[in-house]
Amino acid sequence: MEKHIFANPELCTGCNRCVYVCSAVKEGMFQPSKARIHINNFPLRGYSVPSLCFQCPRPDCLKACPEEAITKNDDGVVLVNAEKCNGCGDCVDACAYGMIEMGTNDIAVKCDYCGGDPACVKECEPGAIVFVEGDKELRKLNGLQMKQRIETGSPAEKRHQLGVNLLALARG
Amino acid sequence: MNLYAGKILVVDLSTRQISVEPLREDWLKEYWGCWGLAVRYYWDLVDPKVDPLSPDNPVVIMTGPLGGTSAPMTARFNLVSKSPHTGTIFSSNTGGAFGPELKFAGYDGIVIKGAAKELTYLKIVDDQVSLESAQSLAGKGIFETEELLQPDAGTPEAKVLAIGPAGENMISHACIGTEAYRQMGRGGGGAIMGGKKLKAIVVRGTGGIKVADVPAFIETVNRHKKEDLFTEANLWAKTDGTAVLVDAISDMGGHPTRNFTYGVNEKKEGINSDAIKAAKLGDRACSTCPLACGKFTHINGAEMEGPEYETLCLGGSNCEINDLEQIIRFNRLCDDLGLDTISCGNIIGLAMDMTEKGRHDFNLKFGEPVEYLKAVTEIATLSTQRGKDLALGAKKLAAKYDSRDLTSESKGLEFPAYEPRSNYGMGLAYATSERGGCHMRAFPMFSETPFDLDVMAQDVVNGQNFATIKWSMGFCDFWGSISSPIIADILSVATGETVTVEQLEHVGEKIWNILRLFNLRAGLTRADDYLPAKQMKQQLQKGEHAGRVFAPEDFDKCLSLYYQKRGWDENGVPNSEKLAQLGLDQF
Repeated sequence: MEKHIFANPELCTGCNRCVYVCSAVKEGMFQPSKARIHINNFPLRGYSVPSLCFQCPRPDCLKACPEEAITKNDDGVVLVNAEKCNGCGDCVDACAYGMIEMGTNDIAVKCDYCGGDPACVKECEPGAIVFVEGDKELRKLNGLQMKQRIETGSPAEKRHQLGVNLLALARG
Repeated sequence: MNLYAGKILVVDLSTRQISVEPLREDWLKEYWGCWGLAVRYYWDLVDPKVDPLSPDNPVVIMTGPLGGTSAPMTARFNLVSKSPHTGTIFSSNTGGAFGPELKFAGYDGIVIKGAAKELTYLKIVDDQVSLESAQSLAGKGIFETEELLQPDAGTPEAKVLAIGPAGENMISHACIGTEAYRQMGRGGGGAIMGGKKLKAIVVRGTGGIKVADVPAFIETVNRHKKEDLFTEANLWAKTDGTAVLVDAISDMGGHPTRNFTYGVNEKKEGINSDAIKAAKLGDRACSTCPLACGKFTHINGAEMEGPEYETLCLGGSNCEINDLEQIIRFNRLCDDLGLDTISCGNIIGLAMDMTEKGRHDFNLKFGEPVEYLKAVTEIATLSTQRGKDLALGAKKLAAKYDSRDLTSESKGLEFPAYEPRSNYGMGLAYATSERGGCHMRAFPMFSETPFDLDVMAQDVVNGQNFATIKWSMGFCDFWGSISSPIIADILSVATGETVTVEQLEHVGEKIWNILRLFNLRAGLTRADDYLPAKQMKQQLQKGEHAGRVFAPEDFDKCLSLYYQKRGWDENGVPNSEKLAQLGLDQF
């Protein structure tokens, strides 16, 4: 079975180590704004919601791409072919989770599971993100998160709204 | 350059001029960042005799070299200025994520001068920096201020540093808050911002921080994390958080209870770490911290991150409030209104004692939560005479009602949660801290010889020197086992240049001596390095150290030993050889 990164907000402490290390690995410096994973922090309520690419079974980003630059590989990971990307940004608008963005040189960037060894997961001490095949519980949690589709706004706004929705479900 | 953003933001609130200066790279190897570098900047900007609440008293906010990287627990950043509460130079630091965000915006620090004409906030979005009206935020709490300002910076990911009504009203023990429950707590930073009519700073940064070799840096950091951070000395922070100290310090007989009358709280079961665990919803961390010492609790609709040990003691045991729900309510009020919980709890405990002893009736009683909670709001808003009195701070409050025999403070800063009569080293640490009664400069609480004057004097010197290094790097206190070799190793890999232990160890003593020189020029003398009569003459009651005092002659001897070990004369003035040795001749 495919391995995926699963997030459990109940365990997330908001430390952002995943975000820091992701950006260092992908961008060559510590630059959270350019990371492929994000943490929506709600300190007043003591809650944090990881935003990560769900590697959707039927990815909207893939469907939206006019250049067929986005593909899904045999491991279920959705990848951007930088050489084919024309920088139109249609994928960014299409993603309901804010998890694909325009990077440097106007090429779309997203989480690629670091080729099967995600750096972020190794940094998560509380186990709020795990890279596993996933049991029933984790898939249920994942399904609940994927239901929170945010169709408008910038990627950051979509992520924030996903966090707001999940916080409301968890804590009221 | 590696590790640093390379720029300092300079904001003059009087002229509304904003400028960007290159970071003084020539200072970095001597002062590094955070506390040390802020002190160096501050020294050049001010006359030590300045009135702390005047426009002439600047504020320096500084991040550390490792802030913004994945080096664990390095997100802390410092504020340095002259304290309106103690009249000394002081530093306050906090964690959260504001410091790294400032670096990502492109600034290692901010120098704030002058004073605005009306309530203002500073908005930083990368290289777009502006002063904006905060008139609509007047009187608002820190929680609401943060939530209102984040969208204003264009993203919910913006970070805010703000004051509440207590800061606006220039209460001299007002704090500065960020991410709701994190504070620059001690010494009155909130009052200084209030005096400058600076309600908040909001920052969003999208840039990055470089290290010489990313894979080597991550490997080095993770090795020290595994081999040193995740060991018994530090794991209490992950499993229990600071509440673990309620039982530990009380069992040692050093847990201030009933206005520093008892050394143990016999009813601590309601407020110890088991009580916190029973109320816990989850663990919370500052940026880059894998330990997550913050415990988010919820009881009967009252929720917050914490309370921490100091608040459980000063707002709990010291007021004989042994109901965790009421302490949560006290803590939330302080955090939102912008009051330091240590000072506030200490002062209310004092007022309860004064009331019960008939010195003055504040309608406050030990163990009675209703008026205790009301008093917090009254202090922050100055809405009643009781509030105005308690806003004076313990020292001035006691002086007003002839009750100096009941106070626990030094240089005007109210003592935290470790009883000096149970550990003379803590007494000396309180008396010799640059900002007054504070446990964050030297912490010999767990010494096996707490009454050996010579050992304690040396422990305090060593502790102060190392704390100064640690907080010039931005490391959190709760990486308790961290050492100069680990810091040197991480810095070497990050900068790509060899940093030696000797280089670092010189730094701590040097900065500590600059603090001393400032305070001497501000007019302080040996007489200001004091313990109050309560700790020197009244016997501690209950617990392992019942009957003990820190007798005046012992304290005096201990202080002289400390001065000798520092290379200072009998008046606490650094001698010329010491200054030359530290390269401080020009100071």
